[in-house]
Amino acid sequence: MKVSRRDLLVGGAGVTAGFLFTPVPWKLLGDVSIWTQNWPWIPQPAHGPVDTKQSACTLCAAGCGIRVRMAAGWPVGISGVKTNPMTKGTLCPLGFAAHQLNWHPQRLREVRHRGRTASWADAQTAFEKACTEGPVAIFDGRPGRAASSVLQAFAAKHNGSYRVVPSPETQALTPYADWSGVPVSALGYDLENARTIVSFGASLLDGWGTPGRFTHLWSEKAAGATDPQLRLLQIEPTLSRSAARAWRWIPIREGSEGALATGLARVLLEERLVATQSPMAPMTLEDAAAQTGLGTEAIRDLARTLVEQRPTLVIAADGNPAIAALNHLLGAVGSPGGIALKSKPNLSHVRPQPNIGPNRAVLLDSSVPWDFVPETTAEVFRFAAWDGGSSKADWLLPSPGFLEELTDVPTAPTSAVDTYAVSVNLIQQSEEVKNTAQFLAKIDSTLPDVEKLIHSRCEEIFGAKLGMVFAEQQTPVTKFESAQKLEEQLRQGAIWMGNPPKPGGFRCILQEWPARTAPSHTSDWAAAWLPPVLPPLAAKLYQESNLRDVPARREV
Amino acid sequence: MRRYLLVFGFGFALALIVGWVAFPRALYVSRQQPLDFYHKTHAEKSGLTQCDSCHVLGSDGTFSGIPRMEVCAGCHTDKLGTSQSEAVLVESYLKPARETPWLVYSRQPANVWFSHAIHTRRAGLACTDCHGNYGESDETRVYQQNRISSYSRDIWGHSISRLRRAPHDGMKMTDCESCHRRHKVEVGCLGCHQ
Repeated sequence: MKVSRRDLLVGGAGVTAGFLFTPVPWKLLGDVSIWTQNWPWIPQPAHGPVDTKQSACTLCAAGCGIRVRMAAGWPVGISGVKTNPMTKGTLCPLGFAAHQLNWHPQRLREVRHRGRTASWADAQTAFEKACTEGPVAIFDGRPGRAASSVLQAFAAKHNGSYRVVPSPETQALTPYADWSGVPVSALGYDLENARTIVSFGASLLDGWGTPGRFTHLWSEKAAGATDPQLRLLQIEPTLSRSAARAWRWIPIREGSEGALATGLARVLLEERLVATQSPMAPMTLEDAAAQTGLGTEAIRDLARTLVEQRPTLVIAADGNPAIAALNHLLGAVGSPGGIALKSKPNLSHVRPQPNIGPNRAVLLDSSVPWDFVPETTAEVFRFAAWDGGSSKADWLLPSPGFLEELTDVPTAPTSAVDTYAVSVNLIQQSEEVKNTAQFLAKIDSTLPDVEKLIHSRCEEIFGAKLGMVFAEQQTPVTKFESAQKLEEQLRQGAIWMGNPPKPGGFRCILQEWPARTAPSHTSDWAAAWLPPVLPPLAAKLYQESNLRDVPARREV
Repeated sequence: MRRYLLVFGFGFALALIVGWVAFPRALYVSRQQPLDFYHKTHAEKSGLTQCDSCHVLGSDGTFSGIPRMEVCAGCHTDKLGTSQSEAVLVESYLKPARETPWLVYSRQPANVWFSHAIHTRRAGLACTDCHGNYGESDETRVYQQNRISSYSRDIWGHSISRLRRAPHDGMKMTDCESCHRRHKVEVGCLGCHQ
């Protein structure tokens, strides 16, 4: 029998139709998709014993409690710690996936000098040379850590300057520090006792402060309620995620926050809604209305709302003194539900220097946000675990990634109570990375050691006999047999919390209503920088992925 | 016309035979375990009749999986018989303190998080509900590995059509979902894919 071309085509059609009634196409589709998940260049966790460790997140200064699931010694999952008194089991989205960041394609694993591969020895030689040729400025993004003490010590010994890059939360507390003389590191927000919170653009529900702290509070006292226990008033130009969930959103013109605060102060004083003695705000209500885009009656209504359900706490997104002065007027400074003085200002506070001056070199610790761009002609040495792109640094120095280094986690910037935690290196640090303290110790072996500093801080806490240690159970510090036992607990992921703030203790003296209605900016590039409320990598990822509105994108 | 119908039917039938008979055989490659292991023998001779005698579920919820070599060493410090497997166990693994590279029938992808503690302690499922009654097996099953995905055939299930299967046959996501639906337990994506 002769097989024609048409026979072949018809037979082929039969085969094709027949295959559709077999598992072949469907099973192959599924298997191929699984095969693509297992390509050799995709990192896979090793098979091995599964273990759970507890630690503190180091992505930002909040230091949320994390429970890390380890497989064969590698972190494979992160969740919150319910026993953590600050975060109560809540984490930000980035924290949940932080263990993946070590595998990020932009992870830095080699020293780079102006875009070319270099060695640690080259970097060390260049920095040593710079130290001998002129002053060096060392920048720290998270002051108060043991590593910060190493940076400070190096700067002091080598005729350099130690500078802190303040977080926006810290900047917002600066006016109170200026008016009271209390260091900003000793101040915090008593959110838990406030009944009305007025946010002037602070992203309270979107990464502000310790992310879990306010989110948890809001879900307990405000979420879904028409007359909530905790009223959140969000004042900002755009309908941000915080504004969308707020009890009331008050849209105003970009940059008119200070004018609104001044207008509100005028109403509070004119209508005698507050008992506090304060100088009269210089701006008229009509001027404030014209600047903000709100009507005068709307400002009057808002002022009355501020005193309806007290204590009322005002939170600014930056160091705008006019907004901070509202808290003084509302009697929220040093009182429950207001600006709190922590039990013991135990951490060293370094006030920003007014001018940075000429430097031979600038060294940026890995805690400095990536978008803090040094506008200087000095040679820049930047430590970072990830390359955020478009770096102006002369030297990019790979630092340990997430959970790859031993560090301590001092009190978060917004906390009303002192805390202390230790984050141990759950992953072995590879030889190709070094943190700033290790780098400086190679140059000057007399510098203090981070491990010893952590030990001495644990001894300080043990010696003070104050506060509690929160692990599975809560243990007062007085119950610990030794500082070593306390340190062991902290290294296993417990957190020490000092005594809650007592009312009073400090007060602000306001001679005149702040003339400025915007944060001060100096000609110093370092002081003029506006920080994002995000860890370095997240700042870049969030802004580029349009997950967060940055000031430049805001429109009325 | 009749001729074309016959040719079409021939092609159709050929595809059915290839798809249902030849394809499953070609898709999986058979691999032998490094040792013969008999659950039944262990149950009878050592009295280890409960699964968790060896597959230990810790008080903190951690699951040991296949016992490590130190558990085997508890009894097999010396050869307990004359079989080839016994000799291999002692000489190749116990004495050099090497873990046996077992081929795990129920190995899931790395992006799957599964807690034995939640399923057995909270939901009250028996081991056999998912793994079948292998505790009484007196043979070492051949490990059939998918040539493309590299996972065990136990994940898809032994029936290529996934129809008329035993309840424990198959450990695909759809199997988890249908069981959760049956028991009205909602876990969401992050419940299993953390």
